[in-house]
Amino acid sequence: MDHQEVLGRLCALAGPGGFEGTVAREAARLLEPLVDRVQVDRMGSVVGLRSCGKESAPKLLLDAHLDEIGFLVTGHEEGFLRIAPLGGVDPRMLPDRELTILTQPPMLGVVACLPPHIQTREDMDKSQPMKEMVVDVGLTQEEAQRLVPIGTPAVYRTGCAPLGEDLLCGKALDDRACFAILLDTLERLAGEELDVDLYVLGSTQEETHSTGAITAAFGVMPDLCVAVDVTHGDSPDAPKDKTFKLGGGPVIGVGPNCTRWMSKRLERKAKELDMDCQIEVMAGHSGTNGWDLQISREGVATAVLSLPLRYMHTPVETASRADMTDCARLLAQFIRDIGKEVPSYA
Amino acid sequence: MELIELIETLNTAHGPSGDEGGVRAVMEHLAKPYADEMTADTLGNLIVRKKGSGPKVMFAAHMDSIGFIVTHIEKEGFLRVGRLGGVSPKEVIYTPVRFKNGLRGVVVPEEKADFGKLKLDECFLDIGARSEEEAKKLVRVGDTAVYDTAVFINGGGSQVFSPYLDNRISCAILLSVLERLPAHCPNDLYFVFTVQEEVGLRGSRTAAFGVDPDYGVAVDVTDVDDTPGSEKSGTTQLGKGAAIKVMDSSVICHPAVVAKLEELAREENIPVQRDILRAGGTDAGAIHITRSGVRTGGISVPCRYIHTPAEAVDLTDALACADLALAFAQAELEEC
Amino acid sequence: MLELVKELCALNGVSGAEEEVRDFIRAKAAPYADSIRTDALGNLIVYKKGKKPTGNKVLLAAHMDEVGVIVTKITDEGFLKFDFVGGVDRRVAIGKPVVLGEKKVPGIIGLKAIHLVSREEEKKVPKTDSLYIDIGAKDKEAAEQLVELGTYGAFVGTPEEFGTGLLKAKAIDDRVGCAVMLELLKEDLPLDVTFAFTAQEEVGTRGAFGAAFSVTPEVALVLETTTAADLPGVEDHRKVCAPGKGPVISYMDGGTIYDRELFETLRDLAEDNHIPWQTKEYIAGGNDARTIQRSKKGIRVAAMSAAVRYLHAPASVGSTADFADMLRLTRLFLDRMAESC
Repeated sequence: MDHQEVLGRLCALAGPGGFEGTVAREAARLLEPLVDRVQVDRMGSVVGLRSCGKESAPKLLLDAHLDEIGFLVTGHEEGFLRIAPLGGVDPRMLPDRELTILTQPPMLGVVACLPPHIQTREDMDKSQPMKEMVVDVGLTQEEAQRLVPIGTPAVYRTGCAPLGEDLLCGKALDDRACFAILLDTLERLAGEELDVDLYVLGSTQEETHSTGAITAAFGVMPDLCVAVDVTHGDSPDAPKDKTFKLGGGPVIGVGPNCTRWMSKRLERKAKELDMDCQIEVMAGHSGTNGWDLQISREGVATAVLSLPLRYMHTPVETASRADMTDCARLLAQFIRDIGKEVPSYA
Repeated sequence: MELIELIETLNTAHGPSGDEGGVRAVMEHLAKPYADEMTADTLGNLIVRKKGSGPKVMFAAHMDSIGFIVTHIEKEGFLRVGRLGGVSPKEVIYTPVRFKNGLRGVVVPEEKADFGKLKLDECFLDIGARSEEEAKKLVRVGDTAVYDTAVFINGGGSQVFSPYLDNRISCAILLSVLERLPAHCPNDLYFVFTVQEEVGLRGSRTAAFGVDPDYGVAVDVTDVDDTPGSEKSGTTQLGKGAAIKVMDSSVICHPAVVAKLEELAREENIPVQRDILRAGGTDAGAIHITRSGVRTGGISVPCRYIHTPAEAVDLTDALACADLALAFAQAELEEC
Repeated sequence: MLELVKELCALNGVSGAEEEVRDFIRAKAAPYADSIRTDALGNLIVYKKGKKPTGNKVLLAAHMDEVGVIVTKITDEGFLKFDFVGGVDRRVAIGKPVVLGEKKVPGIIGLKAIHLVSREEEKKVPKTDSLYIDIGAKDKEAAEQLVELGTYGAFVGTPEEFGTGLLKAKAIDDRVGCAVMLELLKEDLPLDVTFAFTAQEEVGTRGAFGAAFSVTPEVALVLETTTAADLPGVEDHRKVCAPGKGPVISYMDGGTIYDRELFETLRDLAEDNHIPWQTKEYIAGGNDARTIQRSKKGIRVAAMSAAVRYLHAPASVGSTADFADMLRLTRLFLDRMAESC
């Protein structure tokens, strides 16, 4: 799997929460050769199924979300657009930021920034709140109202490109880098006999309400699931105790949201592969779809596997290709012969 | 002409930084009878020469004043202005101003502004126009305005209150020196009435380059520390004589010039004091670093409330400055 | 000329490292120049004779450099500490891609994720010395293979037309001025003209010192860009100017009080020839004119600029019609100078 190539395409597509259509289509296209069948469900999530052929086999759901953070147009002022965030937008990323406004055809927008003569020294030390921001689309008020109706979504205008020898940098690596890990995992398991029916879910709207995961899980009714998402990568300004090293290997979640036998199994498998891995202890909400998947219907045994990612929720998210490959290797190993381990609940 | 008459005449002229035409015309008229040569250079500096065979001495007094420039006309007929030089918004609220064409107005702060941190773009000019259209018949964006306040004398006839003593008092001083000079001068004298000093010593820079003097003497006002609640940012006091400049924020005066001025003051019995100004620069700053350098000093007139619409100096100090400048103009100076 | 503007904007030339831009301009200008030279500050001075032999009387100036970053330190973990070259509001630099050095190493100005930021921290923007550039290097050694202390970095911003008649690009300041000058060089001129493509304007109009001193013209027209703040929420008197309203002819800015006669000449030429024009309705900013005006015995200066939003940021926005009108008005100016010189 060429992560750079796949992500180069996936990340360039626009798919903010609720508007994942184009991304879902590409995800489905990539998933198709690796599974028995692919469907796009009511909430726009992509679900692929690879049956193992054994009767009453347990169902294992692998999830990575397809949506990215984005914006919605909420008004027009003198030809400029007012916007609201879709998901956890970092407002400090916005001054002079290029956006793609998802009109038909899409158009370029630039988030306006104020020049120095109308600001004081103190102003320039403060981050501008989003409600004061407007987007320049180069149109008159009439044109803007006509061409960019209220509710039009927008995303950061960038794709994904290499940074240094091992890293990839771009928007929506959260969480398409992990969807690519799922594809990679399937490639590694191709032709092998499995003892679980494998469901691969590219879910929608994780950044807002986990809508895709909640509804897809209800339909699939898995016995176990693994939420594959990103976690905070190391950077000079970030606290060392809350971040994980890029190139330090997959991050295994531990805590109430992560069913213990599954976390332990992941650790064991990493050792078997002689692979570096990192442990993330989460005392409550894992911050991933795992939280909602765990309580679907009667409950689902859940694991959280994470990819270290720097600058989360910015247009320049950065992760290591070596980590991505290791995550796929670990996940494949985890899946092999897992059927036996599934406890019967009596 | 008496100093006070000169001040009154100069104050009726219009000459904020960059728009000195009006005051230059008056200066030309007053200086002409005493000039061997008189020219205006590219930026508008007025250069009056009294020929001599000795070293070149350049006396500089800036003729520009601080003021306002119209930047925008509001729909309701109010004007927005930018500053020409060091206009402090807090010091000019409700001050009457006038334009070249005689139009008058008042500087007003916006009600919602924080007066403690008042900025000029939170103020506007009311010229009594009721609409943009009406205002446009009276002014254009780019027109300049100056303080329109009164001149009067108190203190037993010695303390004069007036706008723009910075730096019209110095122009008056140099004009009176020109009047009093004998027919033959040992030194080659250039009396330069500079432009755009208030916006950064701009005119004196190019004038000095052109004149290429051996000595430079900037005549300007300086801060005092003789009023209640003064923060002691100046070292001079009204009534204690001409201030010989040692240093200001733009220059450390040449010790030879300082020494010469002190020597002349002693010889001629001119009352003097020393001037160190921490917050403010003068044309001396531009002159002393011209080409390979110029031995430069300053003769300063102690002045209260600099840059406000009502500055104040003691005329006896101004006369002492004139005496000192006259002495220096005729002094035997070392060749450089 | 629009294609030329786009080509020029795509080149990288941060103040002090203008080579790429200068080489491009030199190659384009050389076939039309009577004399061409580079000086100690990095300026490119081109002289072309015209119909009337006026010698060095008239100077046109535009700067080649753009704002950017410079590497000040390489950390043990392989991140780069940097400083801004020229006046950059660091809020527009956060999370932006840059390209470093001749090797064109991609990097990004990183900032830890918002989730790791406290409520207090969120309201403030970190100081420049806490910012860093991530080039994806494993460690210091790996980074040192790619960059060194003093390596320059330019912002990344592909020139792109959008909206109604607008161009988004980095470095419109001042490649549009350079483009106007290059276009004029191709034409028959009514008088001799010196074209000064200056260096290091953004760090204090530095190149202009040497250029003006060596050329000593009588009249200089600076072709520049100036800040437009025509945004909602900005009061009318602070908007300064706006893209699409024509070239900006200035009477004053934060650095210069322009020659009133030249200002009026440009204004009259625009009106008589039905070229839209506007002026700056706020005193702010500065350009090479402030240095040229006070060179030697003084030089009469004027400035004509394109109104550009988000100056000194990777995505600035100007009007393509304004660029074309700048060229037209400068031509008329040269004709008028030929008559009066």
